Amino acid sequence: MTYKMLDGNGAAVEAMKLARVKVVSAYPITPQSSIAEKLSELVAKGELDAEYIRVESEHTAMSAAAAAQLTGVRAATATSSVGLALMSEVVGLAAGCRVPIVMPVVNRALVAPWSLWCDHSDAMSVRDSGWLQFYCQNVQDVLDLMIMAYKIAEHEKVLLPAMVCLDGFFLSHSMQKVEVYDQKLVDQFIGEYIPKNTYLNTEDPMFICDLTPPEDFTELKYQQKVAMDNAVDVIAEVQDEFYRIFGRKSSIIEEYMTEDADAVLVALGSMSGTAKHVANEMRKRGLRVGVLKIVVYRPFPFKQIREALKAKKVVGVFDRSAGLGAQGGPVWTEVCAALRGLDIDIRGYVGGLGGRDVPETTIEKIFNELLDIYKGKRILHTNWIDVKDNAMEIREVLKVV
Amino acid sequence: MKKLKFFGTGGQGVVTAAKIFSTAVSLYEDMHAITVPAYGHERRGAPVITDVVMDSEPILMNSFVYVPDIVVVMDETIIDKHVDVSAGKHDGTVLVLNSEEPFMLERYKKIFNANEIFYVDATHIALEVIGKGIPNGSMLGALAATGVVEIDSIEKAIRESFGEKAGDMNAAAARKAYENVKKL
Repeated sequence: MTYKMLDGNGAAVEAMKLARVKVVSAYPITPQSSIAEKLSELVAKGELDAEYIRVESEHTAMSAAAAAQLTGVRAATATSSVGLALMSEVVGLAAGCRVPIVMPVVNRALVAPWSLWCDHSDAMSVRDSGWLQFYCQNVQDVLDLMIMAYKIAEHEKVLLPAMVCLDGFFLSHSMQKVEVYDQKLVDQFIGEYIPKNTYLNTEDPMFICDLTPPEDFTELKYQQKVAMDNAVDVIAEVQDEFYRIFGRKSSIIEEYMTEDADAVLVALGSMSGTAKHVANEMRKRGLRVGVLKIVVYRPFPFKQIREALKAKKVVGVFDRSAGLGAQGGPVWTEVCAALRGLDIDIRGYVGGLGGRDVPETTIEKIFNELLDIYKGKRILHTNWIDVKDNAMEIREVLKVV
Repeated sequence: MKKLKFFGTGGQGVVTAAKIFSTAVSLYEDMHAITVPAYGHERRGAPVITDVVMDSEPILMNSFVYVPDIVVVMDETIIDKHVDVSAGKHDGTVLVLNSEEPFMLERYKKIFNANEIFYVDATHIALEVIGKGIPNGSMLGALAATGVVEIDSIEKAIRESFGEKAGDMNAAAARKAYENVKKL
């Protein structure tokens, strides 16, 4: 086995290099910048045989990447936060035109307040845009899920683009020990890129994304829905094959000590690692807690989650985005829908916003609340788990009670 | 599991030091380490803090360090920049300090009154050996003196990170600091 020290951005670049991307069009944005920089460096040095298109915005970055991929090559781009927001028009276009681009999204809060730091509000804002979404727990996940994402996205039953989401700074800039793979094995695993649906070829012209009347629109949207449904089985197959070739197990959801747990916390991203660590520590004290990690958020694994949690009495869900105006965060809302009709007390927690750390103490506080609810010793929970007591006085403009 | 906090100022190579340390224990000692850098509005001279978690098992947690086992202070003046380097310390916490200035040693002794303190003028060693006052290499040597990592592993990781020429010089600085570190 070969190990390298890589940060999350480095692992994303390693995967794009292993996938032999032929066109790169990326616009730098904190904390994604080192992806754009490293790719340009590789192209300049001739270590990556690709065309690097310098673009003036993320909107163009995705436009160029999608068009390039339609000509029959793998194209690469990456973004974060407001970059993803600016790109969002073309994000939908890539999905609707069935261009299976794989894009790292380095999770950073959407504005305002202005922030450079991690939360999931950026990726969550485009969760229904027709892209697959994977969330990484650690840097190894970034490499593994990126490689798998190419094979899944390009599968003829899927043909949907994929976002591989990695937490800004906590993963993008965290250096970790990563097992890296042989180019030949990756070539064998993902194969050469062959466009299977739409393509651009001057010898054989095709209209793509032309005006679609109401007579056809629903059906084209339905095709995307079927692709999403198909993706569930394809993901499981690809994860199995990845395990056979590379020896690392992966799954759509991961059940961590949930079997006999009195309280289970649903989490995604880097905080799910901290949640597992805290579960280990609390288990040593005889407290039965477990973690359900969501690896694949789109398509949302509602069947798997229902199967895993159907016998539970108390479940907590940790959202790293605010879900403003909704009854709760987006993950909580969908977990509730997955578990509807079952007698389960599902508590939604919002935290870790705009770079606020999710330390062991925050996770332990949640587990303790859930255990108290399980024992009937507590009714209410702390919905915004890490908000300061003086929240309403911070940078106060108008006194609101 | 051991948790470390590196304190310094922009321009000293604090993040690089933490990354090299992680490389040393991960690639040359069959351990696992992650760096958790706290990025802010970077500029030369501003306080920089980076955390490292190391363990014999792959590391699950991914958050900042609040209860450090080792505190590395690369810039002695950091305590005058509204940074509490002793936050979360426990009886077993070890301090590795870049200073031999008696007045500063007294101040740190007061803060870490019950703790082991390793100290060396790593900036001076860096100036002597590499010709630049960037103490990240030499401080890693001082850190090795605590026994948390072998000096050989540090030297290998430095050479890997800095390349041949700068790597040799920084490795020499690390070795010199390792041999000259004193204990309070």
